[in-house]
Amino acid sequence: MLNFFALKKIGWAIFTVLFVIVLNFFLFRILPGDPARAGIRDPRLTQEAQQQIRERFGLDKPVINCFESLNPPRLGSCAINPLQTQFFVYIKNLLSGELGISYHTNRPVFDMLRERLWNTVLLIGAGQILSIIVGMALGIVAAWRARTAIDYSALIGSLTAWSLPTFWLGIILLFWGSHNLSLPVGGKLTPGASFPNSWGYVHDALLHMLLPTLTYTIIFVGEYMLIMRSTLLDVLSEDYILTAKAKGLKTFQILKDHALQNAMLPMVTIIALNLGFTVAGAIQIETVFSWPGLGGAIFEAVGRRDYPMLQGAFLLIAVAVVFANLLAELLYSYLDPRIRTET
Amino acid sequence: MLKRILCLTLFALLSAACAAAPAQAPQADTNAATDAGPAVVRIGWAGSPDTLNPGTAVLSEAYTLFELVYDSMYQLQLDGSYTLELADSVDVSDDGLVYTYHIRDGVMFHDGEPLTAQDIAFSYNLYKNQEGFPFLPVYTEFFDTIEAPDDSTVVITLTDAIPNIESQLIFLYVLPEHIWGSLEGQANVEFENTEMIGSGPFKLLEYKQNEFARLGAVKDHFLQGPKVDEVIFQTFENQDALVQALRTGQVDMITEMPNTAAPSLKNAENIQLVSGPPAAPSVTDIILDQVKPENCPPDDGKCTGHPALLDRNVRLALAHATDKQNIIDVVLLGLGSPGLTLIPDSLGVFYNSDLADYAFDIDMANQILDDAGYADTDGDGVREMPDGTNPLIFRMNWPSDSTNAPRMAELLAATWAQIGVKAELQALDPDALTSICCPAFDFDVILWGWGSDPDPNFLLSVMLTDEIPTGNSETGYGNPDYDALYKQQAVELDKDKRIEMVHEMQKIVFDDVVYIIPFYAQSVQAFRTDRFTGWQTDKGKIALEDPSSLLVIEPAK
Repeated sequence: MLNFFALKKIGWAIFTVLFVIVLNFFLFRILPGDPARAGIRDPRLTQEAQQQIRERFGLDKPVINCFESLNPPRLGSCAINPLQTQFFVYIKNLLSGELGISYHTNRPVFDMLRERLWNTVLLIGAGQILSIIVGMALGIVAAWRARTAIDYSALIGSLTAWSLPTFWLGIILLFWGSHNLSLPVGGKLTPGASFPNSWGYVHDALLHMLLPTLTYTIIFVGEYMLIMRSTLLDVLSEDYILTAKAKGLKTFQILKDHALQNAMLPMVTIIALNLGFTVAGAIQIETVFSWPGLGGAIFEAVGRRDYPMLQGAFLLIAVAVVFANLLAELLYSYLDPRIRTET
Repeated sequence: MLKRILCLTLFALLSAACAAAPAQAPQADTNAATDAGPAVVRIGWAGSPDTLNPGTAVLSEAYTLFELVYDSMYQLQLDGSYTLELADSVDVSDDGLVYTYHIRDGVMFHDGEPLTAQDIAFSYNLYKNQEGFPFLPVYTEFFDTIEAPDDSTVVITLTDAIPNIESQLIFLYVLPEHIWGSLEGQANVEFENTEMIGSGPFKLLEYKQNEFARLGAVKDHFLQGPKVDEVIFQTFENQDALVQALRTGQVDMITEMPNTAAPSLKNAENIQLVSGPPAAPSVTDIILDQVKPENCPPDDGKCTGHPALLDRNVRLALAHATDKQNIIDVVLLGLGSPGLTLIPDSLGVFYNSDLADYAFDIDMANQILDDAGYADTDGDGVREMPDGTNPLIFRMNWPSDSTNAPRMAELLAATWAQIGVKAELQALDPDALTSICCPAFDFDVILWGWGSDPDPNFLLSVMLTDEIPTGNSETGYGNPDYDALYKQQAVELDKDKRIEMVHEMQKIVFDDVVYIIPFYAQSVQAFRTDRFTGWQTDKGKIALEDPSSLLVIEPAK
């Protein structure tokens, strides 16, 4: 039963990724603008040079059978060899693990994504874990001490933090931290610095991570706190909790053995979803702190109509989100057996 | 369960950190071994080179690095003059068609190989023949042959005598043939050039795209070795952070900043703010669609511009109703100078400063329109054409990525409304703007701008009748006198005579009110006075990242 359930879920996940691969291709080609000219308003770019760029990146080929171009929409011959269309070249390259060459930097997209992915996972991952831990802890305390001063201050604090504009909080922390604590203003490491040992390296990296991670944690802690608090409050009003109290169990035991496990279901969903989106980075935080992550790269690629980079990045995000979702569903069925029997 | 997920994630994070660490740590160690207290200049900027390949690079950050790492035949000084760099002398044939350069002895590439005339001829031929290099063939357009008869002579034969070979050669950086020569065709275009072997006063030590570029001094450079040991360009994706990095001393100089930061930096301790014309000339323009029906491009032209803009009186009235100083004060916070024509003040001797600008005078503007017969016949506050039709309502567009244009559009609309002209404001995606602009001429007014070479030839060509169908002409202006002068100056070998012609051309387009130029923006930079001294701030233009500064600065005592 479980195997069938898991197989079905995995099948759906693969289907979703395939769908995204197709969608990715057409999505960016519906955007107005010519990649051979985007970002370069230099009329000295002669017609021949533009043609050369188009040929080089395969943009001179029809988008797909029957369509020369999608924006502006231009019909074309349907009776051409599909392998001579941009779409099938894209699929063929993808199947052989090729993500293409960035129009902007002339570098392989795979290399660019790889460099940036680690940076993003490091920063956003740390921020996520911190905000999950702090958010859940706050949520548990607030729910247990519901309608007390602790609850209200945690609630107000979380709501305030959650509604702060990310870039604003980031820049305020940046000014404060660099001025008062002499923390680095941006980047991942001090460029050109020499480190006598690995501790020096780690120390420098941690200093650079501190402010962006703090910003991320403050912004996202509210989300986890609020969800934890409300689901736990629901659970705590159940009769079996009253029974547990009547049995004379300690607070900690009630929370640990009876309440938390049942309150975890919504949390697992939100954590899994957020972890999936981790690879997309956080454009605003990465921009404020000049963190060389994926978010900034995607932002830049949109402006330059850098199709290969966008396709690669979106594929990566889609795979991460779908995978995280799959993981959540499988976890769900483990946490709550009703789910796998019902489906 | 949750604990297990967290552990797994933590493990993944830690392994990511560990995987990243060893790749970089040894590099840092080697740095430590080689230098005990080197003088390292840290420069902050808001961009990053797109590529290190001089054939395909577009962004100015890439060119800043090329200037430091490569040598060319000529060097452009901040005052706009040229000096020979790789050659110590040049002979020009009487007909101006053959240039014979005598290359200096003892010039070395950073990898220890000598730079010879063969490398120069190889590079120029590569730039000329490689179709995948989008911009550079423009500079070799008039080069018939480039040859190196021996190790120290380069002979360039031109198809036409041109007055500005210096500006053609400054961006043609000399590449080592022993590296680039082995690349065939497309490989030249795809070459990432991460080693970036050149012969300039700095060599590339370390490069991380979108993070930093670290350059080391070549102390025994044949012209002048830098006094500092290293220069690091660090990218800050946000300009407020850039300013803060300067304040806290994490960088020693910043190449740009938001104008809003300038007043506070002016009073900051140990920081000097400098502003002036930029090294790379640029101009902001108000484009008035004045293409005549007979000049409308037959294939691509839509030519829907308002007929009133064809009338010089209307354009003149708009110029008088444009409060340039107010625009400069509001939009640039004063950091700009009022513009005259498309040729900006940063083009030095070519800029005609004798033209007297149209005064901001609403009454005079109203008078001009009254006299020309444009009256508000229906009393709605907007004038109509002299025949009573077609009210003077102009579409005004600008690129949506411009920070200055929206405010400028509002200011223009406000003063133009005082002379009975209504503007309908709308920002457009740059691509959409290009498609309505030219050669479609499907607009009335566009707020945009140009960047330029140190030679005025290109900007002058934008206003030629021949450029209307090509899409280079944005206004659709056509004037046979102007066209004739352009052809003359393009072959005039006497520099003074050429300057005179270029000035005359500016007068023609100024009198015809082809554009309204609201301002020439200044370059605003700042540096720390307690770290390095010797920054070149009084050489006419402001470009502290230029070799002219980086070669001479030294640690402050």
